[in-house]
Amino acid sequence: MTDSNVVDLLAVFSDLAPAADAVEQLRAMGVHDDCMNVISGVPVTEAMLGRPRQWTNVPRIAMGGAILGFGAGFFLAFISPYLYPYPIQVSSQAFVPGPPTVVVLFELTMLGMLLSTFLGVFLDSFFPNYRPMKYVPEISDGKIAIFVECPHVEEKKITDVLKKLGAESVKPAEAQHL
Amino acid sequence: MTNAIPEVKLAEEHVGKWGMVINQDICTGCQACVAACAMENNITFVGEEDSGYGRSMHWIRIERFWEGEYPEVKMTPNQPMLCQQCGSAPCEPVCPAFATVHSTAESLNLQVYNRCVGTRYCANNCPYQVRSFNWRDYERPEPLPNQFNPDVTVRRRGVMEKCTFCIQRIHKAQDEAKSEGREVMDGEFTTACAQACPATAITFGRTDDPQSLVSQLAHKGHGVKHLEELGTLPSVTYFKGG
Amino acid sequence: MADHKHDAGHAHTEEHFREKHLMLDPLPRGQMNDMVMESMTGKPGWKFWTAVIILSGIVAYGLVYSWAKMIAEGVGIAGVNRPSYWGIFLVNTVFWIGISHAGTFISAILRVFKAEFRRPFTRAAELMTTFGLVQAGFSVFMHMGRVWLSYWLFPYPNQRMLWPNLHSPLTWDLLAITTYLLSSTMYLFLPLIPDMAMARDRSTGWRKNLYKALALGFRGTEGEWTHLRHAMNIFAFAIIPVMFSVHTIVSWDFAAATRPGWNSTIFGPYFVVGALHSGMGAAVIVLAVIRSNMKHMDYFIRAEHFDAIGKLMLIISMTWAYFFFNDYMVQWYGGDKWTHQLLHFHEAGPLGWMWFAMLFCNVVVPWAILWNTKWRSTPWLVSTVGIIINVGMWFERYIIVPISLTINRAPFTWRMYTPGVEIPLGIGTLALFILLYVLASKLIPLIPVWEVQEGQMAHELKKFGRETVVSVSELE
Repeated sequence: MTDSNVVDLLAVFSDLAPAADAVEQLRAMGVHDDCMNVISGVPVTEAMLGRPRQWTNVPRIAMGGAILGFGAGFFLAFISPYLYPYPIQVSSQAFVPGPPTVVVLFELTMLGMLLSTFLGVFLDSFFPNYRPMKYVPEISDGKIAIFVECPHVEEKKITDVLKKLGAESVKPAEAQHL
Repeated sequence: MTNAIPEVKLAEEHVGKWGMVINQDICTGCQACVAACAMENNITFVGEEDSGYGRSMHWIRIERFWEGEYPEVKMTPNQPMLCQQCGSAPCEPVCPAFATVHSTAESLNLQVYNRCVGTRYCANNCPYQVRSFNWRDYERPEPLPNQFNPDVTVRRRGVMEKCTFCIQRIHKAQDEAKSEGREVMDGEFTTACAQACPATAITFGRTDDPQSLVSQLAHKGHGVKHLEELGTLPSVTYFKGG
Repeated sequence: MADHKHDAGHAHTEEHFREKHLMLDPLPRGQMNDMVMESMTGKPGWKFWTAVIILSGIVAYGLVYSWAKMIAEGVGIAGVNRPSYWGIFLVNTVFWIGISHAGTFISAILRVFKAEFRRPFTRAAELMTTFGLVQAGFSVFMHMGRVWLSYWLFPYPNQRMLWPNLHSPLTWDLLAITTYLLSSTMYLFLPLIPDMAMARDRSTGWRKNLYKALALGFRGTEGEWTHLRHAMNIFAFAIIPVMFSVHTIVSWDFAAATRPGWNSTIFGPYFVVGALHSGMGAAVIVLAVIRSNMKHMDYFIRAEHFDAIGKLMLIISMTWAYFFFNDYMVQWYGGDKWTHQLLHFHEAGPLGWMWFAMLFCNVVVPWAILWNTKWRSTPWLVSTVGIIINVGMWFERYIIVPISLTINRAPFTWRMYTPGVEIPLGIGTLALFILLYVLASKLIPLIPVWEVQEGQMAHELKKFGRETVVSVSELE
């Protein structure tokens, strides 16, 4: 299963600067950005570590949800009044009342958008996920951990470099139950 | 552009279908209409305590006002107040459950008991305050249940109700007329309150028929519609001081 | 003298800043985690259990028993009558929705405008939103005559072939409150995920399982943070108009009606500001209670926070007074005889004292106390003002609902309203709110630790000549 060639390491840093240096150094050693992953206890932006920008679908999913919500609102506001067995008249108001449709469209658009934003986080992050994963609990104490999972590089060399750059520990990464 | 200024529908121009004229000058305040209405429409008796607390359930009530201190009291004419069957009723649009709607066929303001969930918004929004709410399931001791009118639903707690212009009588008359292949004649039937009034202060009939008694009385000239400035287009015309 | 002056000029030492500002007093993240975990998992003392037992008792009697009785016997056991068809149930609905506005105000508006003092208490405020909305929902369902049919108000295809009446402000209300409840709960949960992961990493037993389930497998990868940040940003911006719409629609329940005193176009913003007024007052009470009753909270919640909220309370109080006067002035000037009757009844009727008490609580007290930095920084004093404001705002809603309903265009029906079972039910909702909060304080980290750490990373002291000032970097 594990190719002897594949390096699977986990280095823990206590600070941002050495972690950023390590990312740079690893890249210089031929480790592709796709082979690295960073986990942290506070949101560390990609720019701080010099990492490529992360792709997120959340805004698109939100937009999709907003459109769906608008559709639901449109159905309620403009179509549902025609689904009755006979026309229901209240007061002298029009069948499809003007201003109230704005209220309905607004609320359902927002509901659709916010529900799907929430759902988007779940979809994009593969939540909920209770399988064993590579993790170190120290990161919720503010540490930054870098995973290196890369073929065709020497484990020893990488370990030395990371240690030299200030990694608190470098060890083989193991999936565990969180 | 002759129609640049929109047309305004005045209360007195509202025709509707069924209407009522109440002559306050000959109303004696005897409450016969109130009793007849309660019998006809299976209205419950709320008892002394709830009645005193503003929970009396009458679809028609006699309002009495007076000025000055006893014994120097100046009375104003008795004012029977019931659902005005507005052409543009404020109670209708506010119900979230469509429990009170406008009947385009009969030009009446309907109350659908089994749709009502009891938000009581309609009653708040009724400027005439003529809606009654079933605050509890009031006790109806024997033998009172024997006099239930089988044509009218008995309402349970949590439901709003109000005057229907005795719609069960309207339907009965219409059915009879239809089976005989004719139109409903003026004076063929009337509401329970009008029927019971010993002074004939209440007249009920077709307002869209200019020959009917109610139309002729309504157009006598000094009739008023209550709170017509709100644009509710009431179907009841009041006379007093004439 | 000269020396003294000299000292005063250099009073702002680093030590001074550290003492004053949480953001300039960083502790190692691990230590903050431990403090938050200890405040949450520490063995509950007798105070906690007494509170839980008493509150549960009140909820059982006030909410469960009284409501069951009302469902069985009818709304008649409440005090509502003609013409006050809406009583304390609707007062409480408006009140609780008002309370819920503080959470969104603090965690969304202050987040959007990057007000850094918000960081330690966004969650405490968001919890108020969710729990407050639960009470608002209860209150409005209690109000209904046939609550067992309340599902008819939701839009779904049914055999009755009916859809909700979209002409009705109550239907808009239902849509708005549902949207707000769902979105504020989601907005509470999103920033909680990293803290759940933190709690998962340092707990055992049933707590471990609970936090593991709620952390959803969050590790803190770059991707997870990015998705979370984007989502929170969308929420922060989008939930603000939702919040405004909710209380505006609540105000339309009144303003759309053809009633003297209600039919006012300014009710929308007036209600929104009123909601924020009571909401901020409630937020400050909650913060003071948390601070004095939970371990380590005096590190996270400091005088500076009371000072900052105090300023907001003062501004909101002024805005409320502005809207109140605006509404009053135009109603009075209109000259409608029924409106005049109503205004006279407000001030000189049997409950006229309530009208004056409202102005005293909502305007006089906050203005008299909150202008002073020192008083504003005193937790017990600010939270007392918060209590007074909430009393005042409850009076305001009481004046708008049952008192205004007493006067209408049919003088024959004028009659006073005396609350009945509304009182235990209202107290029941209050007890349930506190109970939920007390229990939640033992189950979820009330302090968003990662947000506090993020803020502490962004803050530093900077020297301009001889003056040391606080400077904040924008990390995002």
